[in-house]
Amino acid sequence: MLTAEVRQVKNPGSLIAAPSVKTMFLVFSLIGVVTFMVGLFLDPKRMWFSFLHNHFYFLTLALGGLFFAALQWLTQAMWSAPVRRISEALTSFLPISLITFLILLFGIHYLYPWSYKGDIVLAGKSGYLNINFFILRNLLAIGLWVFFAIKMIGNSLKQDKDGSLAWTKKNRVLSPIFIILFALTYTMVSFDQLMSLDPHWFSTIFGVYCFAGLFYSNLALTCVLTVLLKRQGYLEGIVNENHLHDLGKFMFAFIVFWAYIAFCQFMLIWYANLPEETSYFLNRMHGGWIYVSLFLLIGKFIIPFFILLPRGAKRNEKLLFNIGIYMLVAQWIDFYWIIQPQYAPDGPVFGLIEIGILLGFLGIFGLVVQKFLSTHNLVAIGDPRLVEAVTHHHQ
Amino acid sequence: MAQNNANSKKLSGVVGIFDEPRALIMATKKAREFGFKHFDAFTPYPVHGLEVAAGLKRSPIPYVTFVFGLVGCVLAFLYQYWTSAIDWALNIGGKPYNSWPAFVPIMFEVTILLGGLSTAAALFIFCGLPNLKKKAFDLSITRDRFALMIETPNLATNLDVKDNLKKTKEFLQSVGAKEVREVYEEGWGFSL
Repeated sequence: MLTAEVRQVKNPGSLIAAPSVKTMFLVFSLIGVVTFMVGLFLDPKRMWFSFLHNHFYFLTLALGGLFFAALQWLTQAMWSAPVRRISEALTSFLPISLITFLILLFGIHYLYPWSYKGDIVLAGKSGYLNINFFILRNLLAIGLWVFFAIKMIGNSLKQDKDGSLAWTKKNRVLSPIFIILFALTYTMVSFDQLMSLDPHWFSTIFGVYCFAGLFYSNLALTCVLTVLLKRQGYLEGIVNENHLHDLGKFMFAFIVFWAYIAFCQFMLIWYANLPEETSYFLNRMHGGWIYVSLFLLIGKFIIPFFILLPRGAKRNEKLLFNIGIYMLVAQWIDFYWIIQPQYAPDGPVFGLIEIGILLGFLGIFGLVVQKFLSTHNLVAIGDPRLVEAVTHHHQ
Repeated sequence: MAQNNANSKKLSGVVGIFDEPRALIMATKKAREFGFKHFDAFTPYPVHGLEVAAGLKRSPIPYVTFVFGLVGCVLAFLYQYWTSAIDWALNIGGKPYNSWPAFVPIMFEVTILLGGLSTAAALFIFCGLPNLKKKAFDLSITRDRFALMIETPNLATNLDVKDNLKKTKEFLQSVGAKEVREVYEEGWGFSL
């Protein structure tokens, strides 16, 4: 009478991609390629800044998917088993990030002042900030992430076939190694690709700031995709409002975490008031950038904080979807705020180039993730914790 | 039976004791379905899902925390603004008198402080604590056993108390209680 309810989770299979959505992503990709070409002739500097912006944004979405999945194996989490595959799908964009980084190398002289000019400060940093070492260490880091994605996600996919515990155990060994390497390499990559846009400036917490943004947008995207699939009936009987509640709590926590880290970076620089550090915030507190800075304070923290605070909000599918999209936009604006002031110090520049490059990346990202979801199961059906995760909220 | 008790103490209710939390959750759910209105569950540690089984409403405590947290945040700002910009304005490092970034850590701390203290106070008020009248009727429920108490008002609704008492005992046995016994008001100091 009191034994636990044991049941089989019905395999939802793979996504049957709507052709219209696929066409839309294809069109977006073409728009991106055309904008890239035209931008190269019309305004290459502006185009490269926009390219870097979107390259890094979509890189963090893909890498965030790997981080989320690794975190679940590392902590042996049970609750997340029904949604883990969705974050795994995001990693399918990581190899493309390697390619976009290679393309970015052609724009290195437009983006990074240390690559084309020298002064006494840059001369002192030239042992680290030189083109060859920059290319080498960034390629190694992204290559390392691709390697771990292929290994760990591969193990998870193989588990779909035989349901063997051995795959989980393998990922239990790989995930802590990955997380430690991730912390070091992601800090390095964000220092290199974003912070060195202003090579005189430095902030030791910058890597953590970029990590906070990475997880902020990754949780939002995982939640948005989960709700999308749930709406189409794929996750019937697998994901219910209790699982969404867990995801919502995670999103809420990382809204606060981002604000905490962002304020740490700002306040210490503001308080110490050292000329070599304040330039970053001075550029963003005057002219048109003050409005973007205020948006980050109010729009990226205060508004979603109060919206997601009530319990009911975190269990409301429609609200979670909308706030998820909103958080993805907010994170895109955050990277915009980090990158573009180096190109346009007087105020944000936004036009067809920025829209076109964004659509291009969005299109390719959509195509790749859609392909992954339509070739693999939508749920890690072989995961030994799946049955428990599906039933644990049904007391 | 209550009236005829040797010590002539008032009957508080009937308690059923269970060995594991899931059994208690099932029994609580069934007690509610059976129609009992006044009952309480006792556990040695928090059991998830018990509040749902007992049909309890969501606690109002989070709203108290929210309001006091906001009050703490605003008060901390106003106080710092008053001391450093109005009452005793000092030029510190050439910064403006109203240097709000420096206020934020204290605003954060006072938010937490008032939120936390008000939560503890609200918990005591809503739970009617401290309660010195009632004593633990069985020490094992503070250790490793789980109890469901069907209280007297349920039994007294029907005039035929004896029959009701019997039915309640039968009910507790039918939902799997390992032990069923009566509990008297004055006898709550009882220990094993």
